[in-house]
Amino acid sequence: MDQPGACAGMAETLAESKTETRLDTPWNVVVHNDPVNLMSYVTMVFQKVFGYSREKAQTHMLEVHYRGRSIVWSGVRERAEFYVQQLHGYLLLATLEKPE
Amino acid sequence: MLIRRLNDDSIEFADIEPVEAELLRQVSVIGEAHGDAGAEARLFSAPAAPSETQFLKDWEEYVRPELRHLFLAARKVVEEDVSTLSAKAGRFSRMVFPLSHGEAWLSALNQARLILAAKFDFADAELALHEVPKTLTKRGLVLLQINFYAAIQERVIEALQGEDDGYDAVDVG
Repeated sequence: MDQPGACAGMAETLAESKTETRLDTPWNVVVHNDPVNLMSYVTMVFQKVFGYSREKAQTHMLEVHYRGRSIVWSGVRERAEFYVQQLHGYLLLATLEKPE
Repeated sequence: MLIRRLNDDSIEFADIEPVEAELLRQVSVIGEAHGDAGAEARLFSAPAAPSETQFLKDWEEYVRPELRHLFLAARKVVEEDVSTLSAKAGRFSRMVFPLSHGEAWLSALNQARLILAAKFDFADAELALHEVPKTLTKRGLVLLQINFYAAIQERVIEALQGEDDGYDAVDVG
């Protein structure tokens, strides 16, 4: 008699688990190349916003410059939204993206 | 024009020629007077794919006004700093502003460069060329103006990062 209930409970648990997985999926903060922002400026912004070392910031800057884009940060959505906002405040072309 | 960091707390622009002073005065004006769809689109670029409808809606409602306020505040700082320049023609001017204004200068200069580049629809290749145009058309002069502002940005970044020891001034123009 309690089987249907148990099944329903399991389905609910599975559904919750799926939702949790979706929420936990890291979101990417992507910076795109633009010809106006200076390389030194972009490096400085990455250091300020993410607290990266100059070397790490330069690596991302060069990836933006030569490949057109760089995933500069990945993690929980709320934090990613915050970083995108910060980068727009520095006039960088930044987007929030779902990982493929 | 020479730009250098003074001590630990200020940045100096010295030997400013009248034409350079005029270009400095234009930094905040360009940002205020854009009203150009392309420039507006660049200053307030999309933060996500169109499928992120709710996020984009919230962004328009809450974040975009904040960004507009932030950009305006930076231009105001620059406008006030520049207002200390001598208006007398034929004289070199000088201005000193706190190091804490450095980020506002970077923002206002960036706004001006982005707006000019969008308004005049410069191609990437044109912006990458740091040469004096062969013929001084309006477009060529604007490109020079963009590059002049870029040179100032570079010096301000160096000053902010403490790379200038306060004695070796850098000539930008």
